[in-house]
Amino acid sequence: MQKDAASPNGFSERLSPWQRAGLTVLACCATTALATPLLGVLDQANIVMLFLLTVLLLAVSLGRGAAVLAAILSVALFDVFFVPPRFSLAVSDLQYLVTFAVMLATALITGQLAAGLKQKAAEAQIRERRTQALYDVARHLAGSLVVEQVFELASQFVAEQCGGRAAILLPVGDEDNASWLGGEAVRIEPHLARIAWLGKGIVHNDEMASGGYASLYIPLQASQRVRGVLAVAFPEDRPELAEESQDLLQALASLIAIAIERLHYVEVAHRTQLDMVAERLRSSILSALSHDLRTPLTALVGLADSLSLIKPPLPMPALETANAMHEQAARLASLVGNLLDMARLNAGKVKLRREWQPLEEVIGASIKLLGNALAEHPVKVALPPELPLLEFDAVLLERVFCNLLENAAKYSPAGSEIAIAAQLQDESVEVAVQDRGPGFPSGNLEGLFDMFVRGEGDSGKPGTGLGLAICRAIVEAHGGRIAARNDTAGGACVRFTLPRGVPPVVEEEVA
Amino acid sequence: MSAPAPKVLLIEDEKQIRRFVRLAVEEEGCQVVEAETKARGLIEAGLCKPDLLILDLGLPDGNGIDLIRDLRGWSDVPVLILSARTQENDKIDALDAGADDYLTKPFSVGELRARVRALLRRRARSGEAATPVIEFGEVQVDLSRRVVSRQGVEVHLTPIEYRLLATLLGHPGKVLTQRNLLREIWGPSYIESSHYLRVYVGHLRQKLEVDPTQPRHFLTETGVGYRFQS
Repeated sequence: MQKDAASPNGFSERLSPWQRAGLTVLACCATTALATPLLGVLDQANIVMLFLLTVLLLAVSLGRGAAVLAAILSVALFDVFFVPPRFSLAVSDLQYLVTFAVMLATALITGQLAAGLKQKAAEAQIRERRTQALYDVARHLAGSLVVEQVFELASQFVAEQCGGRAAILLPVGDEDNASWLGGEAVRIEPHLARIAWLGKGIVHNDEMASGGYASLYIPLQASQRVRGVLAVAFPEDRPELAEESQDLLQALASLIAIAIERLHYVEVAHRTQLDMVAERLRSSILSALSHDLRTPLTALVGLADSLSLIKPPLPMPALETANAMHEQAARLASLVGNLLDMARLNAGKVKLRREWQPLEEVIGASIKLLGNALAEHPVKVALPPELPLLEFDAVLLERVFCNLLENAAKYSPAGSEIAIAAQLQDESVEVAVQDRGPGFPSGNLEGLFDMFVRGEGDSGKPGTGLGLAICRAIVEAHGGRIAARNDTAGGACVRFTLPRGVPPVVEEEVA
Repeated sequence: MSAPAPKVLLIEDEKQIRRFVRLAVEEEGCQVVEAETKARGLIEAGLCKPDLLILDLGLPDGNGIDLIRDLRGWSDVPVLILSARTQENDKIDALDAGADDYLTKPFSVGELRARVRALLRRRARSGEAATPVIEFGEVQVDLSRRVVSRQGVEVHLTPIEYRLLATLLGHPGKVLTQRNLLREIWGPSYIESSHYLRVYVGHLRQKLEVDPTQPRHFLTETGVGYRFQS
């Protein structure tokens, strides 16, 4: 369709200047030949009209140059063939000079006007065609479902409207070391694309035009940010096209940018929805699993426990068995608890219920919760008095302290002290839990925080190697770090940090 | 003891859990009535007029929280909740709805018996006239004169600290949720400002506990609220 549209003004443009001149001469001669037999019949003034008509027609069909040539030629031919003395440039009656002047002026002016009109019409036609093409491509882009479709529509448009080849470049990675996606259709210069992307302006470099390189780079400016770059390579023999079609390509670039942004948001919405569904599924599976595992364990712990209540009392060996059962069931329950915690912490994002609170409160609660497990270990808590409120999830941080204290109690000799200390740093607060035991086995201290990893020689002690992994997951979810090391004075020490943030103001009471 | 055995209503859908809870509660000298569902539990609560209700939050025919709301319309019987550790919000909702205490599954028989004893004792005492002087640890609080002393020396409390202390003392053994305390002491607009409560509980501990970092009377129920224990 667009090829047909190119033909009306194509005819005269396809002729070389010499051919156009030849045609003009031919037409003028034909007019002379036609008018000569009529010389006796028609008045000379009317013959002038015939010439003027010829000039007008030539101006319309062959353009401005032909019109000028025809005007001059017509005057000359009229003089030679129709003004006495005929077959000579000489003029007998001087009043013919006026005729020539008027004829020449009229021919030139009408020719100019006609040619100008024709050119304007042709330009309007081109504009209309381009508008139509833009409109079409906008419609198609609005209906596109994937980015590849946008690429295809863009390169098709550029090929048809500008005769060039186009590629849409999408930046991958951050600003400092972005690579480009989608530059297969043309050879691109990444540096220029980068300038267009970051500078948000058109980059045009004719030196690049040879060798099939893209010479024009237009940023795809969408409402939020620049989404990419449209790179266009023009045919080597027509570099002027880059200048001419810049406006059109800029319009195309805006359309592409809008389409890409729309697709981006569609994808974001889709992904969010998927995440939500997956999250809901995960949490419902976990809570069902948690309920199903915990219910029999609760019964098991309680039933074993209640054997000691039976009257008359069971014989001693049976009671001892009951005690052992209770202990094992309780261990199993804590193991299941740890596994479920780990699963919950590992399944997607940890949802924190952060509140501003003093650290000492959660430490006190942890010590109370452990109760008998700490019976043989005095816990010394030394917190600086100026310790600010911190924002954390108390339930999760209680897990951290419980796990660390439990470890400390398990691996240090009975009666030895466990120390909890905190230290203010610029951006965070560092908390240390320290025991007086033999310390961590030397070697990979970082690895202790991996799942199911246990220190060497731990096989004698009950445990799963989940405690420290849970601690790390919780501390990292709070934006802190955790590390283990052996104190120079002996004993294992685990330190973790919590970010300080900006605590809310507690207004003083007006007492 | 000539007084009739206190009645305990146990609402729990799991048979084996009912079994050992019944054993433990009977050991406390109570008479136990069992119910498996929420509907049956409400009927039994009306029929047998229990002195204590032990309630599992996850019942097959509905949420235990709704049962508490229904119950609180016409009864002030103490309610002990049994819940899983992961149900922090359910616990808070149940306590806000009027439950008195909770136990996290799995729990030991010893813990259960201690809670049952405490709740029944409180129930028995609620009939008596409130004593104006309360003593715990080294501290003596005279509610009629608004005087607090520690080892015989008067301790100065700010008005808010005193209000907080009086509220906690008013419900010994009961878990008071953060929301509850904030509304009671600071007013409804402070419900989200939990750090106020935390800071003031800290003040009370500093002034009245032997070791504020390991409190024995003003206890934290992590993620839920506070409990006063004499």
